[in-house]
Amino acid sequence: MGLIVAEDITKDYQAGEVTLRALNRVTFEIEPASFVSFVGPSGSGKTTLLNLIGCLDKPTEGTLKVADTDVLSLNRKQSASFRGENIGFIFQDFNLIPVLTVYENIEYPLLMVQNIPSREREERVMKLLGAVDMLEQKNKYPDQISGGQKQRVAVARALVTNPRLVLADEPTANLDSKTAYMIIELMKKMRDEFETTFIFSTHDQKIVGEAEIIYTLEDGELKDRQVKGGANG
Amino acid sequence: MNYRYVINELRFHHQRTLVNILGIAIGIALFVSINAVSTAYQKAVSLPFKNLGADLVIQKPEKRAVDSAQTPASMRGIRLPFSNQLLPAEDLQKLVSLDGVASVGSSLLLWEFDNNGFRTIMGVDLSQPSLGPIKVKEWLKDGRFPEREGEVVLEKHFAKFHRTALGNTMRIGGRPFTVVGLLEIKEGSQIASANMYLPLSDAQNLSEGAQGVNIVYLRLQNPSFLDKVKSRIGRELPGVSVTSSDSFLEVMGGVSKISDQFTLLTSLIALAGAIFLIIKTMLGNLVARSSEIGILKAVGWTERDVQKQLMAEALLQSFAGGFVGVIAGYTISYCLGFLSIPVSTPWQINLTPAFAKDAATATTGAVRLPVSISAALTGIALLLSLVAGALASYFMARRTARMKPADILRKM
Repeated sequence: MGLIVAEDITKDYQAGEVTLRALNRVTFEIEPASFVSFVGPSGSGKTTLLNLIGCLDKPTEGTLKVADTDVLSLNRKQSASFRGENIGFIFQDFNLIPVLTVYENIEYPLLMVQNIPSREREERVMKLLGAVDMLEQKNKYPDQISGGQKQRVAVARALVTNPRLVLADEPTANLDSKTAYMIIELMKKMRDEFETTFIFSTHDQKIVGEAEIIYTLEDGELKDRQVKGGANG
Repeated sequence: MNYRYVINELRFHHQRTLVNILGIAIGIALFVSINAVSTAYQKAVSLPFKNLGADLVIQKPEKRAVDSAQTPASMRGIRLPFSNQLLPAEDLQKLVSLDGVASVGSSLLLWEFDNNGFRTIMGVDLSQPSLGPIKVKEWLKDGRFPEREGEVVLEKHFAKFHRTALGNTMRIGGRPFTVVGLLEIKEGSQIASANMYLPLSDAQNLSEGAQGVNIVYLRLQNPSFLDKVKSRIGRELPGVSVTSSDSFLEVMGGVSKISDQFTLLTSLIALAGAIFLIIKTMLGNLVARSSEIGILKAVGWTERDVQKQLMAEALLQSFAGGFVGVIAGYTISYCLGFLSIPVSTPWQINLTPAFAKDAATATTGAVRLPVSISAALTGIALLLSLVAGALASYFMARRTARMKPADILRKM
C-alpha cells in the first residue's frame, strides 16, 4: 500500500459569498521513498495539495491516508502530533527562526515534538549538520548565512525528526539555479540515505526534471502523471 | 517550553523587550510610589496622635471659638484658651464608660499673658503615664519630668530664649517653679506642644477655679472602632469636638486628601495603562511573528506548546518589569522621603491663640514624609506584574488559537 493514498479529494475555500474550488476530485497514490514533484502554474492547487497531505488543512470531500492513517479523522492536537512524528516541511522562504542558531534551528522540532534524550538529540543534529555540510556554520544565526545555506538547514530541520515524508513547497524559488540544483541534489541524497519520501512543488521546469514522478496540476485538477524512465499515467 | 528560545527571543528583540519591560515598570513604579506616598501621608497625619498614644482628642469649644481671631476683653495673666472650655466631670465619666475606649488621659491647657507676650502651659495628668502630653517626657533632653507640685519642664528652645537652665526658678502666674527638665518636641507633635509642662494639680491651682480639664485623650481598644466611637461621642456629648488624624487630613487638603480608595483607583489606572500597553505591544509582535508561529505549528508544536512559549516570554518580561518597577518605585519613594510636608493642626486643637504673633507657624508643623515600602506592597506589585503577564498571555493564546498554519503558510 502507498505511503499516501488520496481519493477524490476536493478542497473549497470560502471567499465571502463565493466558493472557490482549489482542488477538484484529485486522486493519486505515492509509494514510500519516492521523489515526487507537483508542478503547475500559480493557483493550480499545488500548495493546497501539500497542505492537505501535510495535515495542515482538511479536504472538503474525499479520503486521504498518510502513512496508513486516515488524517481526516485527526483533531488539531492529533494532527500536530502526527506531523511531528511523520512529516517534515521545507518552505520557499526557508523560515528559520531568526533568534536560534543553525544548530538550534535543527534541534528545536525535537525538543517539543519528540521526547528524545539530549545525547541522542545532539547525535542526530550533528549527523544532519554533516550531511548538509553545515557543520562549520552550526553556531551562526540565520542572518549570517546565505539563502542556499538556509535551505540546507531547512532540509536538515525537516529530516531531524526522522519523518517518513518531507513536503517542500517551492523549495528553490528563492535560490539561484546553481544553488537550486544543489538543494534538489541534497534532497535526493537525503532520500537515498534516510529513505524518506520527498514531495516538492515547483513551477521551475528545469527543476521539475529532477523528480522521479511528476504530477501536473491545472486549475485544481490532476492533469498528468509522468514517471521518469517509465510510462505516463 | 524551550527556555533557550525564550531567552534568545527576548535578547534578540531587545528593544521590543525593553519597551515591554519599561511599560510594566512604569505602571508598577507608579503603583508602588502612589501607594507608598499615600500611606506616608496617612502616617504623617497620624503622628501627632501616635506620639501621644491617643486615637482621639476631645474638647469642648466655646461658641466664640468659631471666630477665634477676635481679641478677648481680658489679656492679662493666666487664663483658659478661648477655643475651649472645661469639660465637666460627668462628661469625663461618660467618655470613660464608652464601648471601645481602652483608656482616658487628660490635661489642662492654659495661656499666660504678660508684658513679654504669651506662653502656653500644659498641666499633665501624671496618673496616666502612657497617654496624652505626659508622653513628652520620652523626649527629655536633660533632667527629669515633674514628680511633685512646684516642678516644671521647659521646652528646650523656650528655655534658651528665656535664658533658663535646669535648677533655675521660673515664675508662672506669679508662683515659683523649679525647672527640673528640658525637652525637645518631636516633629508632628503640635497637639502636645507647649512651652511648659507641669503637674495637672499645679495647672488647676494656677487657673483660679479651673478644677477640671479642657483636653481629653482617648485610646481605643482597636483603631477600627474610630468611627463608631466618634459617632457615640457625638450622640452622648453634644457640643464637644472630636479630633482624630482624619481631621488633619481635612485641613491639609491636596494630596493628603487622597483616600485609600482613590489611591487604589489611581494606581490601578496607572497599572491598567501599563497592562494595556504590554498587551497591545505583544499582540502587535504576534502579528509580526505569525509566520514563525505557523512554522512551529507545522513542525508539530501543539497550540499549547506555542502558547506556553509565548506565555513564558510574557511572564518573564512582566516579572522583570515588576522587579524594575518596584526598584524604581522604591527609589522615587526614597527621594520623596526627603520632603517635609506641613501638617496643619485643626483649629479645635490649636494650642496657640489665633491672634498670637507666630500662630501660623505654631499650628503648622513640618513632618518628614515617613515613606516606606512594605513587603506586602512589594509582593502585591510583583503579583500584579505577573497578572499583567498572565493577561497578555491570555490574549495572545486566544489570538494564536485562531492562527491556522495552513492560512499562515498560504500568505507567506
